[in-house]
Amino acid sequence: MAITILAPAPTVPYQTRNDADDDDENGGVDLEGDSDMRPSKRARRGKDIVTPGETVTDDPQWMRGHGTYIAPSSTEIIATVAGTVQKTNKLLSVRPLRARYTPEIGDLVVGRIIEVQSKRWRVDVGAPVLAGLPLSAINLPGGILRKRTETDELQIRTFFSEGDLLVAEVQSLYQDGSASLHTRSLKYGKLRNGVFISVSGTGGGGGVVRARRQVWTIDTDHGGGKVDVILGVNGYIWISKHVEVAGGDTAITRIEENVSSTIYSSQNDEIPAETRREIARIRGVITLLVEEGLRVDEDMVMRGYEAAVMVDDENPGESTTYLGGDMGKRVLEMLSGT
Amino acid sequence: MPLDTSTYSLALLRLDGRRWNELRRLTAQISTQAAADGSSYLEMGNTKVICTVTGPLEAKSTSGNRSGGDRADVQVSIRIAGFSGVDRKRRGRGDKRTQEMQTTIANAFSQSLFTHLYPHSTITLSLHILSQDGSLLAALLNASTLALIDAGIPMRDYICACTAGSTSSYSSNDEKADPLLDLNNMEEQELPFLTVATLGDTDDVSVLVMETRVQIGRLEGMLAVGVDGCKQVREILDQVVRKRGTKILEGSQL
Repeated sequence: MAITILAPAPTVPYQTRNDADDDDENGGVDLEGDSDMRPSKRARRGKDIVTPGETVTDDPQWMRGHGTYIAPSSTEIIATVAGTVQKTNKLLSVRPLRARYTPEIGDLVVGRIIEVQSKRWRVDVGAPVLAGLPLSAINLPGGILRKRTETDELQIRTFFSEGDLLVAEVQSLYQDGSASLHTRSLKYGKLRNGVFISVSGTGGGGGVVRARRQVWTIDTDHGGGKVDVILGVNGYIWISKHVEVAGGDTAITRIEENVSSTIYSSQNDEIPAETRREIARIRGVITLLVEEGLRVDEDMVMRGYEAAVMVDDENPGESTTYLGGDMGKRVLEMLSGT
Repeated sequence: MPLDTSTYSLALLRLDGRRWNELRRLTAQISTQAAADGSSYLEMGNTKVICTVTGPLEAKSTSGNRSGGDRADVQVSIRIAGFSGVDRKRRGRGDKRTQEMQTTIANAFSQSLFTHLYPHSTITLSLHILSQDGSLLAALLNASTLALIDAGIPMRDYICACTAGSTSSYSSNDEKADPLLDLNNMEEQELPFLTVATLGDTDDVSVLVMETRVQIGRLEGMLAVGVDGCKQVREILDQVVRKRGTKILEGSQL
């Protein structure tokens, strides 16, 4: 048998320093320095990437925002992260391609309890610092306006204990950037009957983005029943079996009747195999979207799910929720076709 | 006697065929590990390292009090794979050379990163050396820079590093000694060398390490060559980041 010896190839294709186009010759930095054409030039080139240390503009009319800094004794605004330039009126900021989640007031987040303290919980929401959930910011069973007593403090673990997942809203921000959460709505609270996915650390248009609807119910095929999807803005996602809230639309006066002790139950309901399969399929769709660097929102997940069901139906034999390889490619083709 | 470098003066070519001011092949990739906050893989010649960034994350509270203070803490851990060098040597956690490199890297990045944006949190750099062939500290610094950019942590500028040496040994007094750029392992064993890191395109030196002896007159030339090399390194690293960024932006459009 003949032996062929392949030439060694680098794991990363190597390019010489001079093959870049003219603009990248200086690492994208304008060496002339004092051209005031910069902002218009940036705008013309559309989605342009700046890298740390690159001068975004030296025009003093711009204010610096996140992801930029001004060196002492100069007016140049310099990028500190790799990302795209964003302009809001006269505010210039650089949105990083990839970064940890930074909380903002009103964000819907999914989090996990890390620590239980005497009057609050510390929650991991994927941010640089843990978020706090005060005991006073949750719905207590048996009445929304009940006073927090010492008994509640003593049995704080009966509401949430370490490792529990919850969905909450960012109520306020502290000086150090950490968030204070609240779950004072029937929409929020402890999570059960489902599966958790983390797609954090994505950016530049991919991953979970702030959208009009972050929580919705999918009427699944193959007899799976209704499945809830919660897309936390922080990139934590919860997919669970839909449980009908007793009473449906409740008036604010009757809310306490529905806040029973079951909302803090950690016991899962009976989940049929069909529902589990559909939950796994939705999970597969979301991981596929993330791998391809696509947006994860209601529209994309719904389209992806429909495509995944169609691809599954095309294949003879047993139904599968696996979305890797050829299956994943087919789903993506259908997504880009429509 | 490690090796004979006297042939250099004949053709002005080094052992691996480079000229005095040429870098070795430098390739890198970022976002190599999907689960990490930031990650990179970097090859400088045959020196190969992986870097993973975790954080900024809230520091584990020790005995109740909130540790840290008003800025983020940069922690570095270096692991040298047993198979990375020519001799299979097991280095423990407390190896002094490794510890010194860890401190050097941590100090350099505490200065260049905007750590005040992340109070009482920790940024952990985990570096793994897969193969070593000289310029180890430089490769570690470059890989860390890329991983930190991938993690989206704000920094003043790239920290780019490379080594520079001199063709003359300490005792010989020849006037025609040339400075050399980016030494490999064999050259490092024979010749005096220094590791220099600069902050981006500027001439600001952020790291300068020298463990060998050299005549003071040669130092200036070596440093100049090293700083020039750092600028070349920055250009290469910058292209890696830009390429990745373009790919991400293209990918998000469907």
